[in-house]
Amino acid sequence: MTNAAELQASLEAQLKGEIMRMYQEVGDHPDREFHFYHGREAAEMFGYPQEWLDRAPSGAVASFAGVGNPLERGNLRSGETVLDLGSGAGLDAIIASRQVGPTGKVIGIDMNPAMCLKAKANADAGGTAMECREGRMEQIPLPDASVDVIISNGVINLSFHKRRVVQEMFRVLKPGGRMSITDIVSAKQLSQSIVNDPKLWAS
Amino acid sequence: MFRLLEESGFEEVRSAVVTNFRFRKSSTQHAAEAYGVKAVMMTAMKPASA
Repeated sequence: MTNAAELQASLEAQLKGEIMRMYQEVGDHPDREFHFYHGREAAEMFGYPQEWLDRAPSGAVASFAGVGNPLERGNLRSGETVLDLGSGAGLDAIIASRQVGPTGKVIGIDMNPAMCLKAKANADAGGTAMECREGRMEQIPLPDASVDVIISNGVINLSFHKRRVVQEMFRVLKPGGRMSITDIVSAKQLSQSIVNDPKLWAS
Repeated sequence: MFRLLEESGFEEVRSAVVTNFRFRKSSTQHAAEAYGVKAVMMTAMKPASA
């Protein structure tokens, strides 16, 4: 491996660790303050209807760490298969599960197995069905053309390989399938000092 | 992201700013504004013929 490739691999490893630590902390200690809004306060800020939040398990609501409401334009229909890329504590997946009903299916993907367990526990507590698989968005552990809708909330910006992520999303969607995501974008090229700081990536 | 979606074959790519998004910590928010960092909603469709 070249020095540049080694540096990139090292930075990616640091980034992955920091992101997992940060979101694990939101999941385990939602009472703490972070430099981003989270929990019910954030969900209400992004327009999640009160009814959705009241019906969702409190643990999923408290640990919500999204940047918008991807379900707002998801137009989920009964019986559809939905993939939540980076499902975290599971709030979006749980709401989606209610929208697609018992004939539908919601699959969460998260690189942190502990978050998958938390999302599943939250779904069980709320009486909703969701499957959660440990995996990376750059290599989605699903077959080609297997989902109707992809939702994602504040996750794709965390990848060094966004083109690969988008190609994977295209691969797993059925023909005519759709995606509805909310995420962070930057209008300007970030400085190298920001790019090289895993703590800032996870913020 | 918008360009990546189109280049990857998605159609009907749409985006809108999440107007209510902001960071809690003011120093982070100020830095984000300096770099034009914002939250967006993006929707797109995989062609039925793909």
